[in-house]
Amino acid sequence: MKKATNTPSKSPATVLGSEESFRLLVEGLKDYAIIMLDPTGHVASWNAGAARFKGYRAEEIIGKHFSCFYPTEAVQQGLPEQELKAAAKEGGFENEGWRVRKDGKRFWANVIISALRDKDGSLRGFSKVTRDLTERKQAEEQIQQQSKEIMELSTPVMQVWQGVVVAPLIGSLDSQRTQQFMERLLNRIVETNSPVALVDIMGVPTVDTQTAQHLIETISAVRLLGAQVVLTGVRPAIAQTLVHLGIDLTGIMTRSSLSAGLQVALDILNLKVVRKDDSR
Amino acid sequence: MALESISVIKLRDLLLVTVPPDPDDETISALQERVLQAMALYEARGLVLDISTVQTLDSFFARTVAETVQMVALMGGRTVLAGMCASVAVTATQLGLTVGNALTALDVDRALDLLNAAPSGARRV
Repeated sequence: MKKATNTPSKSPATVLGSEESFRLLVEGLKDYAIIMLDPTGHVASWNAGAARFKGYRAEEIIGKHFSCFYPTEAVQQGLPEQELKAAAKEGGFENEGWRVRKDGKRFWANVIISALRDKDGSLRGFSKVTRDLTERKQAEEQIQQQSKEIMELSTPVMQVWQGVVVAPLIGSLDSQRTQQFMERLLNRIVETNSPVALVDIMGVPTVDTQTAQHLIETISAVRLLGAQVVLTGVRPAIAQTLVHLGIDLTGIMTRSSLSAGLQVALDILNLKVVRKDDSR
Repeated sequence: MALESISVIKLRDLLLVTVPPDPDDETISALQERVLQAMALYEARGLVLDISTVQTLDSFFARTVAETVQMVALMGGRTVLAGMCASVAVTATQLGLTVGNALTALDVDRALDLLNAAPSGARRV
């Protein structure tokens, strides 16, 4: 944090007069578009920020209706009028949405419209403060996109043998992820026509009642398809937790390791792995 | 229309029934009726319900299937549900629908294997 080390002997307000300095302050702000609208929504004043991210110069926009900042579909829905009405009624209105520059490009804006009333309470116009949040919006979208990708990466379902798929679960299972995992597992089972699915929970840090419930759900969905699940990677800690929580997994085949699970899968498929020299 | 699209085929000592893609309640009830009549007629020891084209599974359908499984069991047959779609299975699980004691198989081939491999628990009534 920087601190002002020297206080000027005279404040700018006293030098320039408070109205003048306020005008300079508003006009000079580059990160905020601060404009005034008359009661019918026509632009009455313009500042540097508005010029910067809306693209109009003051002389070309003053007197125009502010609906030209909105995308066509928003204008058709009557959004600009609704916002003014809301601001007039409530005193202020805040919203986020797409707005349009002079060149037709869209930007994501946070808009605050406040009603300006004189002492008698009659409406003199509106102030409209707009911030360009396109970068933040893009960052948010990127995060969403990335978490979706992580979600997809984190639940691979692989076919390891004709008739056997393996799904190693890594990380905790919430309901959204279970849904996705279930769909993916079921689709792969159908695609590969595999009667056995090995679900490996070695990489699941802790199994609580909710996670167990999600696993049981997935297993019953797989059964509806006509396939079986072998739950593998049941570590000692997981086994302890399951028993202490009183989670009933009877009727579900479980093994401590993936290789033991694969053995079960081969048994189910009536297959046997033999040494080459034995078969001679 | 849907009533005619139900086919009940006798395959040696088994019955193969194809459920139409989007069965309404009436069709489902009719299906149960026809299955039971065929069970009586052929004294089949097993029933394969091919539901691979079914896209929606509602509670009435699920209940009727569960009931039919029990009825067929009473008449000495075992039922295998074959070829449920992944999406249907997901929805059914989320809605908490179950199909009772029905066996399940990935497709009709495997259903036939299952019925032929398992010791015929068929009890002739």
